[in-house]
Amino acid sequence: MILLQVTVSGLLMGSVYALFSSGLTLIWGMMNVVNFAHGDFVMLAMYAAFFAFTLLKLGPIFFIPGAAAILFVLGVVVYLGLVRHVAKGPMLAQILGTFGLALVLRYAAFWAFTANFVSLPSNLAGGTFDFYGLRIEASRLLAGVLALVITTGMHLVLTRTALGSRLLAVAEDRNAAMLMGIRPDRMQAVAWGIGAASTGVAGALIALFFYVSPTVGESLSLIAFVVVCLGGFGSVPGALIAGLGIGVIQALSAYLIGAVYQDVIVYSLFLLVLWVRPQGLMGTN
Amino acid sequence: MKQWPLVLIGFLFIAAWPLLVDDVFLQRVGALVLLAAISASAWNLLGGYAGQVSVGHAVYFGAGAYASLVVYTELGWPPIAGAPVGVAVSLAIAALIGTPTFRLRGHYFSMATIAAAELFRILAANWPLLGAAVGLMGPPVPRTVADLSFLSPIPYHYLFLAVLVVLLTLTWKMQRSRMGYYLAAIRGGDRAARSLGVPVLRYKLYALLLSAGFTSIAGSLYAVMVGFIDPDSALGILISVKLLIIAALGGAGTLFGPLVGAMILIPLEETTNAMFGGGGTGITFIVYGAIILLVARFQPRGIAALWEAITTRRASRVP
Amino acid sequence: MFLEARGIIKAFGAFRAVDGADLDVTQGEIVGLIGPNGAGKSTFFNCLAGDAEPTAGTIRFLDRDVTNATPEVHARLGMARTFQVPVTFEDMTVVENVMVGAFLRHHHRAGAMRKAEEVLEFTGLSHLAGSPARSLGTPGRKRLEIARALATEPRLLLLDEALAGLTPAEVRLAIELVRRIKGLGITIVIVEHIMEVILSLAERAVVFHQGKVIAQGAPRAVVDDPAVIAAYLGHHMKRVRM
Repeated sequence: MILLQVTVSGLLMGSVYALFSSGLTLIWGMMNVVNFAHGDFVMLAMYAAFFAFTLLKLGPIFFIPGAAAILFVLGVVVYLGLVRHVAKGPMLAQILGTFGLALVLRYAAFWAFTANFVSLPSNLAGGTFDFYGLRIEASRLLAGVLALVITTGMHLVLTRTALGSRLLAVAEDRNAAMLMGIRPDRMQAVAWGIGAASTGVAGALIALFFYVSPTVGESLSLIAFVVVCLGGFGSVPGALIAGLGIGVIQALSAYLIGAVYQDVIVYSLFLLVLWVRPQGLMGTN
Repeated sequence: MKQWPLVLIGFLFIAAWPLLVDDVFLQRVGALVLLAAISASAWNLLGGYAGQVSVGHAVYFGAGAYASLVVYTELGWPPIAGAPVGVAVSLAIAALIGTPTFRLRGHYFSMATIAAAELFRILAANWPLLGAAVGLMGPPVPRTVADLSFLSPIPYHYLFLAVLVVLLTLTWKMQRSRMGYYLAAIRGGDRAARSLGVPVLRYKLYALLLSAGFTSIAGSLYAVMVGFIDPDSALGILISVKLLIIAALGGAGTLFGPLVGAMILIPLEETTNAMFGGGGTGITFIVYGAIILLVARFQPRGIAALWEAITTRRASRVP
Repeated sequence: MFLEARGIIKAFGAFRAVDGADLDVTQGEIVGLIGPNGAGKSTFFNCLAGDAEPTAGTIRFLDRDVTNATPEVHARLGMARTFQVPVTFEDMTVVENVMVGAFLRHHHRAGAMRKAEEVLEFTGLSHLAGSPARSLGTPGRKRLEIARALATEPRLLLLDEALAGLTPAEVRLAIELVRRIKGLGITIVIVEHIMEVILSLAERAVVFHQGKVIAQGAPRAVVDDPAVIAAYLGHHMKRVRM
């Protein structure tokens, strides 16, 4: 029963991982640029949710879309101001650019909000459910289910809509897309917006049940990398499966071996998979 | 190298620095600049010359730092005696991590190095032999001169300068040898390099081993000078990032780039730290972040490229 | 046999890009591999160069089995190649690019430098020796690739569309260069789109279609082969022959 409990909470967490990792995989797949500040985007969204509630008294119905909107704008701005330029340069410049951004965001938050952990009231989304002895906090349930729905929605947008096919056309072949009258620059800006918006929703959802601190983004970035590498870059369904898997593995190893080692297990698994399959678990090459 | 006179003047200035300034803070900054230059020059062998951008060099820095203090806490040896142990451990880790990771391309390689480094940090933070989360202390008072524990930064300055000169001389020789050309070819493109008979994996490994060894020595020197380390100050991801930033600012893959980068960033860091006290760490990294962000955006090849543009006439486009 | 490929298959999943191709090359000749786009000639070429491992079949070079040998081993044995899209070492000068190739047989800087200068002289790039390689345009880069490959002192040179994207005048210069390379006693296998090049350069043409060799022989004769014309859907060929 305990194992089931742990697995379920791992799945709920994993579904949020899948959500923000989908944003990373979209950006990565579109233009082969990695956003090292991705986890810090999530951190910003967590603070946005926190301040929306504490300062403006806005509830989750407002701050979840609000965080998404703010992060969408941030994503577009980062693309236009930074990524568009460094993407043309050597790989070191790409890494430096987004890593620099990560440091600025992380330590600006550190400076502005101090290193103290803060959190939203735990009953914001209701209390705790009891399904035949399986106890689930409403906030985690809401986060998990909503994240699952939005990730699926993102996949549908990418595969079923005109916007999606234009995005994929740019990802496939920039020049060919240009000949078809698509403006790659605009599409890539949109991809960054969507990718960042996914961190906006994810961050607001995590804030419902998790403490907020300036450095929380560091480990979330790494988790997003792991999920994307395992899921195959550019693949939202891959990110979904990998995200859920990582959530469960993390929860189980925290329960069985100890919380401090949960990331050791995740990183070891990641390295192992990269060594066996350098193109990712589900990637094709 | 038409700039030998300039280089000579630069080194004379660096050598004279602690005698030119009377202030302990400034002398200390000088020693720290040299230490950072050693670390970043070591990173540069792999990340700059071979173009394999490691974001996990904290592993080797930490191995050197921890080895120095572990031989003291466990065996009572002078910390510097741990340097060879650190190098041995680093080489072993490098061979272990390097052989499989070098098959990875581009971003995958960088991510694998981050994950490996974080793995080691978490393990060290939970290993009692290494002082777990608290860290390790060196000898509180020097027992003999071999403890290399001095109040004045001046002895450290010359020790670090000697190591830096050895490292840069070696790098210079390497740069002009077959290995230098082969690493540049690997940086240009694995596939083309292999088609010309360059044993790519072997040369990447050579670069990594050299790089890891010297990064480890830098870690040992750091532990010897500072006398205290913990998982964050010796193995944290910010260590890896700092090496990369310093080298990239000055110019990755150039002989003096890391030294120039260190001469800019370290005084900046020490000044903000001094100005803002403990809370300065935050400001320091905002500044660091902003600098590399701007370098990446406007001058992706670092100050070296700027220098090149100033000293040599821009070659016009030729058929 | 100098170079001998037997029953080469290269499959990507269910798709066979090369489907049982054979090739024999004798020392000293110039062989042209031709075929419509997607015929599998480039994939086959990559198998020869050791850049792709064939799914099945064997390749022997100078009586050694090199089917699964790495590109490095190919280079050491005396097989050099160029790439369809030139891969220039951007951070280096022209002469340094060539020195990378020269270091294969000359382990010291001075020797490699001498060899590189000799090759630059031969390929007519001497005046650009000190220029940054990134300042070269496409024709310069293609020529530099050939120079770099020659610096490894090969016995067999594999040229992958070394003339594509050049103007007619540049093509003539390149053809002249390839002839002089042959004059050094180096055997050449060339993949080429431009029929004109094959007709004026190759002593033997091998035609690929759907992963198989459908014809081979003297270029003029091959061009008249009805199977070849059908493979090219006619129009391209006819224009060339007029």
